[in-house]
Amino acid sequence: MTFSDSRRKWIGRLLPWLLLCLALTMVISQVHNPRSLISVGVPWARIGALAMVMTMIILTGGIDLSVASIVSLSSMVMGVLWQQGCPVSWAALAGILAGFIAGGLNGTLVILGLSPLVATLATMAFYSGLSLWISASERITGFPPSNLTRIAGCPTEYWILGATFLVALFVTHFTRFGRWCYAIGDNPLAARCAAIPVHRTQWCLYAASGLVAGLLAVIYTMRDGAIPNVHRGIELHAIACVVVGGTLITGGRGGIPLTLLGIVIVANVDIGLSFMSSSFEFFKGEARLVMVGILLIVVAVWNEWTERDSAKLMG
Amino acid sequence: MKRSTQVHWTLALLCLINSGCGSSSEPSNSTSSSSQTPVLRIGMMPKLIGISFFDAAERGAQEAAEELGINLVYDGPTSDSAEEQATLVNTWAAQGFDVIAVAPNDPESISSKLAEAKSAGVTVMTWDTDANLEKSGREVFINHTPNQGMADTLIEMMIDGTGVDGKLVGKYLIVSGVQTAANQNAWMGLMQPRLEQEHPDCELLPTLYPTEDQSKALEQTAAAIDAHKDLQGIWAITSVALPAAAKAVRDASRQKDVYVTGLSLPSLMDEYIKDQTIDQFALFDVEDLGYLTIYVAKQLQAGPIAAGTHDFGRVKGVTVDENGQVILGNPVIFNQENIDNYNF
Repeated sequence: MTFSDSRRKWIGRLLPWLLLCLALTMVISQVHNPRSLISVGVPWARIGALAMVMTMIILTGGIDLSVASIVSLSSMVMGVLWQQGCPVSWAALAGILAGFIAGGLNGTLVILGLSPLVATLATMAFYSGLSLWISASERITGFPPSNLTRIAGCPTEYWILGATFLVALFVTHFTRFGRWCYAIGDNPLAARCAAIPVHRTQWCLYAASGLVAGLLAVIYTMRDGAIPNVHRGIELHAIACVVVGGTLITGGRGGIPLTLLGIVIVANVDIGLSFMSSSFEFFKGEARLVMVGILLIVVAVWNEWTERDSAKLMG
Repeated sequence: MKRSTQVHWTLALLCLINSGCGSSSEPSNSTSSSSQTPVLRIGMMPKLIGISFFDAAERGAQEAAEELGINLVYDGPTSDSAEEQATLVNTWAAQGFDVIAVAPNDPESISSKLAEAKSAGVTVMTWDTDANLEKSGREVFINHTPNQGMADTLIEMMIDGTGVDGKLVGKYLIVSGVQTAANQNAWMGLMQPRLEQEHPDCELLPTLYPTEDQSKALEQTAAAIDAHKDLQGIWAITSVALPAAAKAVRDASRQKDVYVTGLSLPSLMDEYIKDQTIDQFALFDVEDLGYLTIYVAKQLQAGPIAAGTHDFGRVKGVTVDENGQVILGNPVIFNQENIDNYNF
């Protein structure tokens, strides 16, 4: 080993920033209408808000694969109620509540001893199927325009991202609850022995994830209508943001500011690549997916290498 | 891990950054040098990329772009996703495209994105499928065929095959797709009154709706052929239903007494035309649709297009109506002689 631990960590921090520079160059070089970038970023603000809660779940060694399905379910609950003659505000509240209940069910399954991966994989299919079932697979559109979709001239998704960031930052890094998350991720058995309320912590996190998903679903539905499974796959984008930021997927290490960096990087790489695709044939469609995949592998290998504890390796 | 590996990484990234910068100076150069005649930048988006229908439209669009000296970007989602289309519209608007032409997967949700792009100074139009006219503020909609023309062609092809003195006599069946499909319902709505008036002895069996599922279409058509031994003909009016109906008739060895025709893609029907299971079927020329879209986009830069009949490049006799609907023309009939000329 030619590098000391501290040296390696220092180099490790360079990669995200280099990636960010690269991505920003791609984006800035291609933009002619900077104002339109706000709408380009909306899906990423949505993913970012989910990634904030996802970071805390991953810190405990868990994962939530069902967020996209919860978004779909909340959206369809709101849509169907509104179609049945319910006022939009009540339908919206019901949608948010549906998200919270769905998240709570995830939490309950995890507490009952199912692995988070299996539990949320199962509910991913379950919620998605449920949303198709209650809506008969039909999209519901024609909601009256709402001033809740933009607050102070900025799409609401950005405000939700800001709020979840601040709350997650405070809770994770400045409260006992946050320290519990790290402890559970490091060693759940030891955490339980230390009298940490492991189950309660886990339940709260999954429920919070569902709540944020429900909130995002309602805002989307007000703007574009209730479309079943339109956000399929965003759970993976959210997880990618967490991992690219540098939070370990196995839990115990990472943090909220890292995820914010991860979101900015992944969003800019993706937007940058789609900008490039209109100038260079090479960046089209499938090639873009391949490049995002390569990026993830590089970052994961890099993080693994820099985070590796040489002390641990030596016994 | 060797130090040299680190250096390589850094260098590789620096190269990438430089290439990014290089490309950033490129467009600005080209715009400054050609400030007298700026090159038109058009983004054209199919419902999805990678299927033969939209590949054919791309060929036509590229041909027109070359003729007119237009910078054309043809890109879209890899699945029929409304959300990905919305993202791409936003992206193109941010890049300052002059024109964006979309074939929307979801006419409602794309409309607000098109309106946003329009307010950023982009000319927005639709092709193949229309968006919400008021909500999107789209300039024109490039449509393939007038619905009446499609309905008439379907009936005439059947008269051609089974008519007795120009009249349809006996039992006939229509195989559609999903029950809510706007195009199919419009064509059937126009076919039925004409059949009732001009062909009183034509008995229409209840229409089949096997969705866009090849195996269901095959199953349901086979059952109908079996149940009606005196069936005269089948109209299969989706690209999925026609090959399925042809296969059902061939499997039952009823090619001689059941005449199958309808709408589909030449590439899907090649084998049934070649083995004479069916004589003829129709669709519009997809390449021409792509070609026309680019020509109209170019024309729009000079101002709105008046209602009436126009020629656009090699596509002649295109009608434009007051709602900004541009109609390519009547359907093309494919048969043994011409099917090899089309590859979509």
